[in-house]
Amino acid sequence: MATGVFTRAFDNDWIGPGLVSLAAVIGIAILQPSFLSPFNIFVLLSAIAVNMVIALGQLVIIAIGQMNLALGAVGGLVAISFVGLIEVYGVPPLFALSISLAIGVFAGMASGYIISRTGISAFIITLAGLQIFKGINLGITEAQPFYAVPQTVKDFGNLSMIGPIPWLIIPMIIASVGIWYLLNHLRIGRYILAIGNNPHAAELSGINQRATVTWAHAISGLLAAMAGIMLVAKLQIGQPTIGDDWLISSFAAPVIGGAVLSGGHVSVVGTFFGVVIIAIITQALVLFNIDPYIVQVVLGGLILWAVGINRWRELRVAKIQKQGN
Amino acid sequence: MNPSMANPSLTADAQRPTQGRASTLTRLVLSNEFGLAVLLVITFLIFANTLQGYSSTFSLFTIGRQIGINTMIGLAMMAVIVTGGLDLSVGAIGACTAMVFGYLVQALGIPLAGAVPLAIVFGAGLGFINGFTVVKSGVHSFIITLASMSIFFGLMIFLTKAQSFNQLPPEVPAFGKSKIGGLVSPLLIISVVTCAALSVFYRFTTLGRSMLAAGANPKAAELSGIRTGRIITACHMLTGGLAALAGLMLTARTGAAIPSMAGQLGQDWLLPAFLAPVLGGTLLAGGRVSVIGTFLGAAFVQVMTSGLLLMRIGEFWILACLGVMLLLAVLTDKARQTILRNKGMV
Repeated sequence: MATGVFTRAFDNDWIGPGLVSLAAVIGIAILQPSFLSPFNIFVLLSAIAVNMVIALGQLVIIAIGQMNLALGAVGGLVAISFVGLIEVYGVPPLFALSISLAIGVFAGMASGYIISRTGISAFIITLAGLQIFKGINLGITEAQPFYAVPQTVKDFGNLSMIGPIPWLIIPMIIASVGIWYLLNHLRIGRYILAIGNNPHAAELSGINQRATVTWAHAISGLLAAMAGIMLVAKLQIGQPTIGDDWLISSFAAPVIGGAVLSGGHVSVVGTFFGVVIIAIITQALVLFNIDPYIVQVVLGGLILWAVGINRWRELRVAKIQKQGN
Repeated sequence: MNPSMANPSLTADAQRPTQGRASTLTRLVLSNEFGLAVLLVITFLIFANTLQGYSSTFSLFTIGRQIGINTMIGLAMMAVIVTGGLDLSVGAIGACTAMVFGYLVQALGIPLAGAVPLAIVFGAGLGFINGFTVVKSGVHSFIITLASMSIFFGLMIFLTKAQSFNQLPPEVPAFGKSKIGGLVSPLLIISVVTCAALSVFYRFTTLGRSMLAAGANPKAAELSGIRTGRIITACHMLTGGLAALAGLMLTARTGAAIPSMAGQLGQDWLLPAFLAPVLGGTLLAGGRVSVIGTFLGAAFVQVMTSGLLLMRIGEFWILACLGVMLLLAVLTDKARQTILRNKGMV
């Protein structure tokens, strides 16, 4: 605790990714001034908003030391449910919104309940969940999109609030602050991190593991649902393919942000910069006319790079602790 | 991710030899493979007697051929589950290998006898990259192979410009269509032979036994002189080689090397890859494999899928059914273990 502010700041998870983001913005802006045009900033912020909510959905599960492969499938199911309820059953939009968010929470809760109740690995349960939710999605839509997205929803996804700042930023801020507050100041958040750190010790100290794991998955489901609806607003259509490409980026951002995959240690701010870095790189590839297929390679490389850095930091911390003793 | 969860069953396994020979028959009847085989036969008989065309020669041929491919995909994943790890990149490796194969025979004109082994070695090479990175970094294989699946697939799409190789030598599609005895696909034979070879490998060779030992208890294996790091790398290479073989088999079936044959990033292979070994009783925590179980698992899934398709349930709902099947498989396995332990039968 006695260490100086600066040393502590540099041990923070988000300083590294933050500096990289800043350097990337400056570097690309110098090479390609149109990068900082209001329109481009608007596009960038819209992408960041959606991807941040997706990443938070994975972050909560990484915090308890598990993984959620079904994140995108839940998001996709919620997206088509939302538009489908309006189009097919004429449900009022606000009501449809609540129902579809509830579907997300319920889907997450079901996975969480089975995982915590049986002790089967989250990987296999959420893999089954992925298949089930995706199957239901395609079974309902037969791979055809729903079109009846209300105009207010379309506007929400495509208009700017002030200057280049999109309305989509609002749900992102709510989700980010909410998760940050939850993890740092609420009992459930503390429990989530404690279980991620050491499930056995958490259990011994009286934490209700079943309830905590179930709630963590429910929160993840809610965030996936939010992201699904944000994408409906942005794309102006209820696409069945929403969520198909979330898997890699949902892990990349938290890992770049310093999250420890065995659980117990995550950073919301770090994850935000992880999302920013990914968005900037994706945009830069478009701006410089580089083959968009290479994005996948870059994302994979970023994960490896971040994992390497995290590992190095872990070893360094272990070394310092050893010396301290 | 949490190895401690499956530990009770591991210790249960370790206690088995002390039970003596008297219960051999009981153990056989209670074994996962036996249950699965019974289930497989019953399912098949129900479909064969209720659905018209299900047991026609052509239908049996296609079911058998698909069992061959899915078994290979399942074996590929099984080979790495042994270590308690997993490989998300099997589909990407399969697709990459198929494209390399297509390039070798179509663009370079290399004869098949050379191109097939080269392609399999290429797949094993990709597996080596996975294994080496996992061992050197000490990070769980989930995240490493998540990254490598993105990298392998991305590079492949970038290099091929997402174009397929559809001018393969006529022997390739002919092989996929050929029927031995008018009924059995050679692809099924390849898988059966691979199963036999792997059974011998895990039971009788030092390397195979070291793999099981390293998966069951890495620390103990290390102490008894097994170089765990190398063994884990070898497991990933085996996975890569088997995934490559599966990719080639799929190429023979479709008659062309198509970049999207395993779906976006090769994700479409994930379900068959896990479903077959898990149904077959391979422990996700590592240390125990069931080669026959994996074959039976793949067969059961295919017998089921073909039946549901013929019932016109719609292929999209079948996806959901397979998900439910995976869920039921792990749940019943869990229940079975609990019951057996409570009765003190294991």
